[in-house]
Amino acid sequence: MRQKKRRIGKILMVLSVIFFYLPILYMIIFSFNDGKSLTSFTGFSLRWYRHMLDSSDMMEALSTTFSVAVLATIISTIVGTISAIGISKSKKVVRDLMDQVNNLPLMNPEIVTAIGFMLLFITFRVGKGYVTMLLAHIAFCIPYVMLSVMPKIRSLDPNLADAAMDLGATPWQALTKVIVPQITPGIVSGALIAFTMSVDDFIISYFVTGRGVKNLSIMVYTMSKRVNPSINAISTLVVVIITIVLLVINIMPMLASKRKKTDVVRRRRMWIPVTAVCAALVAVICVAQFGGAQNKRPFEGQTLRIYNWGEYVGEHIIQDFEKETGAKVMLENFDSNEQMYIKVANKEAYDILVPSDYMIERLISEGYLQKLDKSKLTCMDKLNKAVKGLPYDPKNEYSVPYFWGTVGIVYDKTKVSEEDLKKEGYNIFLDQKYKGDIYLYDSERDSFMMALKSLGYSMNTSDQGEIDKAYQWLLKCVGTMKPEIVTDEIIDNMAQARKALGLIYSGDATYVMAENPKMGYYLPDSGTNQWSDAMVIPKNAKNVDLAYAFINYASDYDGAYDNSSYVGYTSANKKVMEDLYGKGGEFEGIDAYIPRTDNKKDEVFEYNEKTKKIISNLWSKVKIAASNK
Amino acid sequence: MKRFQQLAWPYIVWAVMMLVLPMALIALYSVMNQGNSIISFSFTLEHYAKFFTDPDFLLILWRSILIAVKTTVLCLLLGYPIAYYIARSTEKVQNVLILCITLPMWINMLVRTYAWIGLLSNGGIFQKILGFFGLGNVELLYTEGAVLLGMVYNFLPFMILQIQTSLSKMDYSLIEASADLGASPAQTFRRITLPLSMPGVINGITLVFLPAVSSFFIPKLLGGGQYFLIGNMIENQFITVGEWNFGSAVSMIMAIIMMLLMMAVRKVEQHNQGGKGV
Repeated sequence: MRQKKRRIGKILMVLSVIFFYLPILYMIIFSFNDGKSLTSFTGFSLRWYRHMLDSSDMMEALSTTFSVAVLATIISTIVGTISAIGISKSKKVVRDLMDQVNNLPLMNPEIVTAIGFMLLFITFRVGKGYVTMLLAHIAFCIPYVMLSVMPKIRSLDPNLADAAMDLGATPWQALTKVIVPQITPGIVSGALIAFTMSVDDFIISYFVTGRGVKNLSIMVYTMSKRVNPSINAISTLVVVIITIVLLVINIMPMLASKRKKTDVVRRRRMWIPVTAVCAALVAVICVAQFGGAQNKRPFEGQTLRIYNWGEYVGEHIIQDFEKETGAKVMLENFDSNEQMYIKVANKEAYDILVPSDYMIERLISEGYLQKLDKSKLTCMDKLNKAVKGLPYDPKNEYSVPYFWGTVGIVYDKTKVSEEDLKKEGYNIFLDQKYKGDIYLYDSERDSFMMALKSLGYSMNTSDQGEIDKAYQWLLKCVGTMKPEIVTDEIIDNMAQARKALGLIYSGDATYVMAENPKMGYYLPDSGTNQWSDAMVIPKNAKNVDLAYAFINYASDYDGAYDNSSYVGYTSANKKVMEDLYGKGGEFEGIDAYIPRTDNKKDEVFEYNEKTKKIISNLWSKVKIAASNK
Repeated sequence: MKRFQQLAWPYIVWAVMMLVLPMALIALYSVMNQGNSIISFSFTLEHYAKFFTDPDFLLILWRSILIAVKTTVLCLLLGYPIAYYIARSTEKVQNVLILCITLPMWINMLVRTYAWIGLLSNGGIFQKILGFFGLGNVELLYTEGAVLLGMVYNFLPFMILQIQTSLSKMDYSLIEASADLGASPAQTFRRITLPLSMPGVINGITLVFLPAVSSFFIPKLLGGGQYFLIGNMIENQFITVGEWNFGSAVSMIMAIIMMLLMMAVRKVEQHNQGGKGV
């Protein structure tokens, strides 16, 4: 019977190890992918490892992640253990109360804890950066440690410490020599959990960090637009380092114990994982520091703080700019305008932001931006007329366009007939022929744009009746068409032709079409969102002159070319746009790259707080309706 | 003994600062009118009313709890035998196995979840395997199954670690004694092993259930935007809509429900513990 039980346990153990390591294996394989996709393997190459080593950003993120995690784990393990012992000896009221308090960070969605920490640091005017991130990590790690240690303490004989002290031990000795050794398994598992939580944390880190300090999670999450195998490469690097160190550390004591098999060695075994872990981490940090140092130029100069979309700059522009000016660029990323707004509205200081049209309008109206000094801008003439003087900033007093484009339908030419598209426009998303074969884009603005445009209304309408009709349109779509509502995964999914059609940004369509020539991009005549993202300088910018230098640099031919050819979004620089689309260009003949400018029904988003909230809530309801299907 | 009590005080001060205060700020927001300023404070319960009067919101709360329960049950069923197996191994093997289970979690969660997307997607490995059994057209990604899988994948190690910790120091002569006295293996398990590992089980449930209820990233990536849970809703209120007051109210509601649930679980545990002694 016992034997049988063991066998079941063994089988489950093996299966679970396969289960845990299968995605890791997959991840390692894709780090060698030649293409940019994380789901379709096109050939072997080491390009993403090169990309990773070239990017001092990634190396810094790696070292931040592990140094924060190690420090937070050590501190929270010590503090957590000592406090758990203290609390266990306290009155029952205190014990129960602390139990509940410790559950707080476990119980709340991370975003709530994150906003709570952010409010706390703002209230006490603590400058955000590495230290605040570390403090927050310690704060949410301690409860995990205590949760693991507590049951062990409870199962101890309460008289143990007294007995030790009766026999002449000092309280410190009683603690370290008697209690702690008894609860070691709890401490170790608490430390492991704390470390794991810290390494993986994104949301909390994101809201409590500042000054360009970021960990791997922040980097990966904000990369969402252009996730590429370099994140697999850096994760593989972590796997390799940890494995090597573990092997070395595990072999050494084995040799030692062969020589001298005493109780002392046996005792130390408990600490093997702990020492192994510490050594592995130090190694990761060292490699990261070393790798990063290669590309860091310790120029005694100024610092430029840019807050941009994730993966929204070219491969070389930052390095080139640093080389040319000797300045150090700190690039922070966001993945939605609103995420950016929260930080800006909470007085985080940046030199350059790159928000979208309606958000610029909002930032201007709320007084966050400074007027640009036109005499310092050398680039305005080089920019496309079509992206200048747009309603959000009619005279370009505050903003210099960066990328621009439209929102349209990406479709598989082999599955969708162009006739249907011409005839139906956005209503193709209600055509039963394509049921179960469509993607919607998880953005309330663009989904409502599609619905409003297909009904013939303005996308900036604040008329409740029109909005309601658009809401009904979307309900009908999710109710009858079985769409999948995705965000940036649509890029990879359409490049792999996994569905027939979907709503997409023109820049992403450009990428999809460059990857897969069977894909097309269609703009319905009923109009679209003519969007643009532009560079602006906030009022609290610290280094305005450097900001101007960068704006000029990024708008000039070389910088703009690098940006646009790498990201795939349409450059605001007219010559760059023409060259990339023209013969021999990166996006030769891909019509999605050239935004439509001749349709009267195309509009630019305007900011209206009330409508925006209504639409946001309605979109949540559409998604709820979709999940009820 | 009393003097160890003093060890608790620094942490109590810290906890008030770092854990209670942020929550108090959120609680304050949840009963405030529009706006994010404490100066213009005016009390209201409209955000709570808004939540409880909308059947849609109640539905997604229910659905979130349901999937978290499913995740927890699955983790418990899978995690217990694994933890038991680990705990009964020699100390050296134990250490290796624990490392085996913990290591994958040090790779960024998002990177691992992207790997799952690849594994589950149309034309991916899993679909091909199913193809052999004539089930090639079954959609795996963007389903509840995918979300459940992602959650179990992410939270199972916590369950295993917690149960293993409490089993590892168990006195196994108890089991032998029980067998010697004529108890069947099932009886031994129910009367001896399970009660002794209860603290670990409770902790495991806490560490799986609580994050599973509020998780928003796994449903978003593996379930698609149409898989909308309470965590997504709170995230949405804070980040996209900008209704911090309503978002705070929803999180307070969730926190209170969770607190009550966890208290109930602890009560059951204490009850069992009390019974065991007789």
